[in-house]
Parts: sequence; C-alpha cells; structure tokens
Amino acid sequence: MKPVDVIWVGLGGGLGSVLRWWVGRLVGERYKGHFPWGTFLINISGSLVIGYLSVLFQVDWHNRHGHGMVLNAFVLTGVLGGYTTFSSMQLDAAGLAAKQHARLAASYLFLSVAAGLLAALAGAALARVQG
Amino acid sequence: MQAVLLVFVGGAVGAVAREFLMLLVPTLSRGFPLDILVANVAASLLIGLSAGRYSRKVIADRWHLMVTTGTMGGLSTFSSFAYASSVLIEASMTGALVAAAYILISLVMGYVAVIVGLKLGGRPQMQESPA
Repeated sequence: MKPVDVIWVGLGGGLGSVLRWWVGRLVGERYKGHFPWGTFLINISGSLVIGYLSVLFQVDWHNRHGHGMVLNAFVLTGVLGGYTTFSSMQLDAAGLAAKQHARLAASYLFLSVAAGLLAALAGAALARVQG
Repeated sequence: MQAVLLVFVGGAVGAVAREFLMLLVPTLSRGFPLDILVANVAASLLIGLSAGRYSRKVIADRWHLMVTTGTMGGLSTFSSFAYASSVLIEASMTGALVAAAYILISLVMGYVAVIVGLKLGGRPQMQESPA
C-alpha cells in the first residue's frame, strides 16, 4: 500500500461514515419500532454496491492491496467500509437482547447476514450481466 | 455542521485504522478472511466499550458522535464481510463451508465482544437489572 492510498482510505471512510450517520438519522426519524432498520438498510445497500463494483472493476479479492488503485482504496475500503458497519449491528443486537427482545436480536442478525449475502451475490450477478 | 465534521474525522480515523489492522493480519489458507474477522471483532469490543462509557455519562455527546458513531463504526465493515463470504460460496463446496464457518465465528465472536465491551464500559442496565 502506498502512502497516498492511506489518504484515499481516510477520505472515503470519512465520507462513508457521514453517509451512514445521515441515513441512520433519516430512518430513525421515520420509524420508531424496535427493529434496527437504519443499520439493516445501510449494510444491505453497501453489500449490493460492493458486489457490483468488485465484479465490474474485476478486483481480485486476495490481491486487493496489489494494484494501489484509487477505486479500491477510496470506494471499496474507504466509502463502503465506512458506510457499512458490523460493530453497530452487534451493538443493536445487544441492545435488543438487553430489552428482553432476544428473539428479535437473533432474527435481526440472521436476516442481516442472509440479506447481505444475497445483495452481494445480486450485485455481482448484475455486473456480470452488464459486462 | 459541526456534527458532520466530527463523524467525518472519526470515520476517517476508523477506516485507516482498519486498513492497517487488516494489513497486519494474514489471510488464512482456503481463503478464510481472518483480517476482516479481526477488524470486526476488535471494532465490536471497542464500540461496546465506548457505548457503555456513554450510557454512564462518562463521555460527552460530541465525543460519542466522533468515537462511537465515527471511529468504532468505521473500523468495522459489513460490506467486505458479506462480499468475502459470497466469493467463497460461489467458488466451491469447500469455499461454502469455509464461508459458513467464517460467518458463524464472526457473529458469535462479534456478539461476545460487544457484551464484554459493554460490561467493561459499565452500561448501567447490565449491572442493575433485577435478579
């Protein structure tokens, strides 16, 4: 990784995190129930985009540091990594479990993973159809 | 506007920390994404810790926005988690089994890490819940 890539990852991570915060607030203002729709929608949309872009630009996942591409550092590692969040998902689940919604917490984790996988596969398939 | 800046700076730091952390960790044989696992579990522990501190009113709102939402959210990634799993699943039967193990280990370790973080941070309802 070149030093300039660090700057791209940082800029992308900042932008992605602001986008995550903004989407989370928009969803939180409209939906008052227990299910963490904000984080869920963020993670699923991010998974769709990473699947699509990775195939479109043919990023080799096992050699993703080799190319030093701006797209890789800025968009995939930075923006999408900062936008989506695994830790907030787990924090949401722990919060639900602490409020006696253990079953909802488990469903939330399961649905996030299932929908995230399907979204990544769908994004990749879409890029192949196009490409 | 100040809030946007705090989330941006926090998220940029989180994303750069994730990139360095992932560069330090080797990817295991059969493509098990150990690097993403380490980043996500570390971020889950730290987000629990800072959320616990915040609920105890030890840290201020602005600090919470920058560190918990920005840095600890940006340190983890759901998109890479989902995409790496989808690549393994599409590759082969062995890959699908590796993906299943990776997902299960990530979910269990991430959840345990958040709970440990919250306890270390001293979240009130974890300590004062009625027996």
